[in-house]
Amino acid sequence: MSSEKTAKYRTEIQQMMFVSGETAEPAPDTTTLVEQIVQQQVMEMLRDCTALATRRGNRSISTDDLMMLIRHDKPKLARLRHFLQWKDVRKNVKETENPPEAGADVAGGDDALGAAVAGPAGPVPAKANKKARVDLVWDVPSFFSEQVPARDDEEDEEEEEMNHATLERLKYADERTKDMSREDYMHWSECRQASFTFRKGKRFREWAGFGVITDAKPNDDIIDILGFLTFEIVQTLTEEALKVKAAEEMWKKRNGQDGKGGKNTKRKREPGLFDWPEEEREPVQPNHIREGFRRLQRPHNKGRALSNFSRQSHRRALRLI
Amino acid sequence: MNGYHISHSSSRNFPHGARPSSAHPFNPGRLRTPNITDSDMGGAATGNNGGVSAEGVAQDDARVLQFREHYLQSERRLAALFADKDALSDDPKADSHQTSGNSTQNATAPSSAPPKKPARTIDEDDYGDEDDEDGAEPGQTSPLQQKSALAASGRGFASPAAPLSPFNHKPPLHRLSSIDQAKHSDDVRRQAEESKEALEEAAKRSFHTLFYTLENDRVAMLEQQRIDELDRQVEAETSGQEPNGTGNAAVVAAPQQGSLSTANLGASSLMLKHLLARVDGQRHKVHANDTQLRRLISEVRKNRSKWASEDKVNQEELYEAAEKVLQELKAMTENSLPFLNKVSKREAPDYYNFIKNPMDIGSMMKKLKGFQYKSKKDFVDDLHLIWTNCLKYNTDPQHPLRKKALVMQKHTDRLVILIPDLVVRDRAEVEAEERRNASLDADLDGIEDSEDEEPIMASRGRKAPSKTGKKGNATTARKGPNTISEDTPVPDVKPQVLNMASNNSLRNNYLRADSDAPMENGFSTPPPGTLTPLMNGVIVNGAGGSQADASEGEGMGNINDLAVPTEEPELDDQVYQTWKQLTKKARASIAQDRNRMFRNDRINPEGPALLRSKAGMRRWMRQQKKNLPQEESSSDPATPETGKDAAQAVPGETLAEGMEEEDDTLLPDYYDPLSGIPEIPERLSWEEDANGNVVMHNEECLRMIPKGHFSMPQSILTQKMEANMRQMQETRKICAKIGVVKQMQLQAQMYSNQFQKYDPQPFIEVPAPPIVVSDDGPFMAPYVCRATLQRAVGKIFYHAGYEETQPAALEAVTDVAIQFFHGLVQSLNLYNESCKVKTPADGLVKGEPAYQRRFSYEETILHTLDENGVELDALESYVKDDVDRLGGKLGVMHERMRSHLADLLRPALDPNQTGPDGVGFNDQSEQFVGGDFAEDIGEDYFGFKELGLMEEFGLSSLSVPLHLLQNRMYNAHQSQNISAIAVSGTIMEPSAPFEPVTIENIGNEIGIVQQFFLNKLSVNNENPLIEDEDLPVKQRFPKPRLPPTGKITSPRKRPIREQQQMAKKKRKLEEGKEEVNGVIRQPGFVKPTGKLSLDVPTSKENVPDPEKGVDDDAPGMMSPESM
Repeated sequence: MSSEKTAKYRTEIQQMMFVSGETAEPAPDTTTLVEQIVQQQVMEMLRDCTALATRRGNRSISTDDLMMLIRHDKPKLARLRHFLQWKDVRKNVKETENPPEAGADVAGGDDALGAAVAGPAGPVPAKANKKARVDLVWDVPSFFSEQVPARDDEEDEEEEEMNHATLERLKYADERTKDMSREDYMHWSECRQASFTFRKGKRFREWAGFGVITDAKPNDDIIDILGFLTFEIVQTLTEEALKVKAAEEMWKKRNGQDGKGGKNTKRKREPGLFDWPEEEREPVQPNHIREGFRRLQRPHNKGRALSNFSRQSHRRALRLI
Repeated sequence: MNGYHISHSSSRNFPHGARPSSAHPFNPGRLRTPNITDSDMGGAATGNNGGVSAEGVAQDDARVLQFREHYLQSERRLAALFADKDALSDDPKADSHQTSGNSTQNATAPSSAPPKKPARTIDEDDYGDEDDEDGAEPGQTSPLQQKSALAASGRGFASPAAPLSPFNHKPPLHRLSSIDQAKHSDDVRRQAEESKEALEEAAKRSFHTLFYTLENDRVAMLEQQRIDELDRQVEAETSGQEPNGTGNAAVVAAPQQGSLSTANLGASSLMLKHLLARVDGQRHKVHANDTQLRRLISEVRKNRSKWASEDKVNQEELYEAAEKVLQELKAMTENSLPFLNKVSKREAPDYYNFIKNPMDIGSMMKKLKGFQYKSKKDFVDDLHLIWTNCLKYNTDPQHPLRKKALVMQKHTDRLVILIPDLVVRDRAEVEAEERRNASLDADLDGIEDSEDEEPIMASRGRKAPSKTGKKGNATTARKGPNTISEDTPVPDVKPQVLNMASNNSLRNNYLRADSDAPMENGFSTPPPGTLTPLMNGVIVNGAGGSQADASEGEGMGNINDLAVPTEEPELDDQVYQTWKQLTKKARASIAQDRNRMFRNDRINPEGPALLRSKAGMRRWMRQQKKNLPQEESSSDPATPETGKDAAQAVPGETLAEGMEEEDDTLLPDYYDPLSGIPEIPERLSWEEDANGNVVMHNEECLRMIPKGHFSMPQSILTQKMEANMRQMQETRKICAKIGVVKQMQLQAQMYSNQFQKYDPQPFIEVPAPPIVVSDDGPFMAPYVCRATLQRAVGKIFYHAGYEETQPAALEAVTDVAIQFFHGLVQSLNLYNESCKVKTPADGLVKGEPAYQRRFSYEETILHTLDENGVELDALESYVKDDVDRLGGKLGVMHERMRSHLADLLRPALDPNQTGPDGVGFNDQSEQFVGGDFAEDIGEDYFGFKELGLMEEFGLSSLSVPLHLLQNRMYNAHQSQNISAIAVSGTIMEPSAPFEPVTIENIGNEIGIVQQFFLNKLSVNNENPLIEDEDLPVKQRFPKPRLPPTGKITSPRKRPIREQQQMAKKKRKLEEGKEEVNGVIRQPGFVKPTGKLSLDVPTSKENVPDPEKGVDDDAPGMMSPESM
């Protein structure tokens, strides 16, 4: 897969990485690597989903299948549900209020809360109360043969949990945007809209291998979920890579004098007044991404618990980030 | 036994610096014996003995010497401790000069406390016994005679020749000296034994610290087999000779020494010594006096010896000892093997050219069995002959046999000491002599005590001034004439020194002879001479003996030359060598036993069973006990008890102990696991009752598995899970109702069994049926355990929301769970048993690094969980989310379901008014249908109250009788619970059923309907008419529905079947019309034809029935033709 030809999401990935903490402009090979990883993940997801759907006796995959895949990552699942709920809300809002709300559409990622706040004060909160519950297939309602509409007065405790997970990210974003100028913030919010799927449905379908791996006609929801998940993947990957980079820099700072001692001291000069902030100078390199990916792929003991004391070798499947 | 242990252990600890001082009193005593006997000149036998002993001892390695010295020293201390008590118990009647102090000097066996005097008294008794047995001179109990008898017997034991020797002209002195002599030769023997024991002790001690592998056992076995073969051979060859005597002669058994163990019981004391030592050691506990004990012992051993003979004096002792020696030599198979049998001409053709007097152990045994040995010397000479022969023939100093011979010789020297110096004589002779001696004693008794001995003491004291300090010490401990016995050591210092200076026994002898000659000359008086011939014989033998001595001395020199270098490599392994030596026989027998269990490398099922022996078990227990005290100090809570038990067991144990052979006491426990098998519990024994039926002991040992062993233990978690599951069941009930209601809304028609009542039962874990097991371990029943796990899995499934589970799924998950738990437990075990590590810092308290577990228990569990992919967070979140919070969710869900059902049933119903069921009504009640649900709020729903129905009919409630309600709800309800009908509403008597209309009673009807009924009846074949109500359901006419207007607009519907029939009829009519139109036929024929063609369409073609044909054929045939 040659990088340049297939790199279809270069800017999006750059924007996403920027949102997730990367300050400098990543090199093309970095983004290509990220894109490849994401593509691999998406394909894997689709494949697994198809397998699940087939097992259910269904040809086309459903949102439940996707949720099933990430069932062990509870915070992510909560975010996903949150995202889906707000997606519903937005849809309703759009239907009721014909003028499309730019603010509501802005949040391609997890910025739904911000979108809601940005939206008109009157109708949206009212609607938000009636937001559709996205129930998980393995959750309590599925225990019973009859489906009962939820009562409004019930507060879902999980909401707090998912809010907590979201709030963490929002807080981080807030920290970063605190000192931004207006232009910067515009850039920032533009970047936040970056999505693999939003208004690029066809491209995404092609890219992710719809029609090859699975049914050609995916649900809109599925595309949205995949968009959400891909964003999450890039985000996680970037964060991990940044950690790797930070550790590396720390190590360099400590041992750097020995390692590249001569060069470093020579090149090192006093930071000038108009220098870029130091972290912006060096973007994340592909090796950081690779290391981050490796760390994320580290198998969990749970996977091989059953092959302990048996002579079977354990085959590791790709871990979904 | 105990006494020995104590003394040895104490002597071991003794500092080496104490050695020189302690050496003196002992060594002279040992060396004096030869002096005297040498001076006797005639006592060549004793000289031989002494010489051998001296050399033998000198040859013993320093360690043994050291043991011996320490032992003696501690002995003396012990004796000194007892001295006071003994002094009190002095017998006034007996010789007052002999004080207890005397005995303390004679280092006797552990509790040699009883001084000479008690010994004397015992002697008296024994003497009496002897007399009785012999039938000679009963009642001779005068002190003189006792003493003389004592002297005689003492001499008899120590050196039988002495009293008879021509030089023995002064009996009192001689008696004393011979007592000394006896004592000393006894000492020597005892010391030799002790040294041997010390060695054995050392080996035994190592039993518990060293583990010897079993690979040598086979060799031992083979060697032992060879020895046994030799034994058999000898036995076979000598079996022709008649056994000597009746074996009833404990003739010369009269013991004379101070303690039991020194009591000269002859060579049998080799066997009895343990018992005796034990008895001595615990003397204060024994309530019998010496005399009784002695008698007891002599009685016990009376019939034991095959060597015993009435006619021969000393034979038993000599031969037993000799046999023992031979056995021991034989048992040293490593070295003795070449000497077991005669040298054959095939092996060494020229052997008999060089060796004129061949000798071997086998031949010696034969000779022994043939009673060919007359004295110790004969025997010893033969023994040495073997080795000298070997040395003579194999002149090459490197020859391996030579080495072996030297080693054997060394052993021989050591062992020979154990043989009492006795000469076999005829009883008649001895008795005669005794009588003579008695009279002599009587004559000389007066002089004995004071006069003669003092000068001796003085003169000898002068002779060795260097030892005065020693002597002074010794003498202070004693008084009176007995000092002579201590005195004698003094002159012997010189020989000892000389002996040490030059190891040449020849020179030694000369010197001894020099020094002792004056004494002998000075004191000896001419002997009675009656026995000279015999003595001469002995002297001749003695000459031979001295020759042997010389050669032996050479041999010793050779040993020193050869053995020292060769012993070097052995030295480091000496413990092992000793061990091998000591345990050979036992090991061999055990190996043989084991070998017998196998045939061709397979277990031989026909092999004899291995049996425990009492002795073996006792020994095992003893060894265990011996090891216990050490463990006891280290913490073991169990040991005190067992120790107590053992202590209690001791007294009962010991008496029997001595009686049995203890040849193989020298085996470590691990060789004898059989003896360690604990008592088989009563219940396992095979018992038969009188009828030969096996008595079952099962009942007593069976144990019930406690109840609840196979059910879920009660805990908060399980309680919560149970609660969740109950909640789910309740919710499902409501769910089912909602389903029913929804279905009823959709469906137009109900079937009676369409809605099964959903009534889940609460989960009850059926406990496992009472299980009985016969032992204490965990209950191992894979099937039950698996079923239990499966049940647990099923519960978890239900808890996870599955209402039902396929058995296959359950099986699969159970298998996975089993696998997982296997892995879990296995890794737990792995962590638990991981190697210990040294404790980091302060573990070096005892000089040894302390070890501790590598992982603490907590760490072990954490590691295990991690290794198996179980995170604590996951566990916690399972409990928190999947159990705890699930409960909340389920509760919410339940509420929702309830309110939903309530909404379904009565949309306007106030949710606050809902009953406990959530439906708004009590379960299964007819509140809703009956209309009295509104009573609570005081509303008259149907207006019955207003009508005053209650007052009019005295009704208890105003609910509408259910059977009046003809709606679906009612039907559905009724089909669900039929039993509920009778509950209420049958207040009014049902009216009598209408009389069915028949032909007979049609007249009772109103005239206008009579015609109608008649028509009906005629249709119904004159049968009585049935009411519409009673018709089967499908024929029933639907009830007319009255619209609110009250007008019946639509005509009454016919019942279904009727409608169908009508339709059919109509069709038929039309068809018939067509047919009629098409083919002109007579109507009378139509019906039968049709019928016929319907009934037997096939049979007609196959089998034409002639009779039927007559009736029906014509029209039947007609119609087809007509067609």
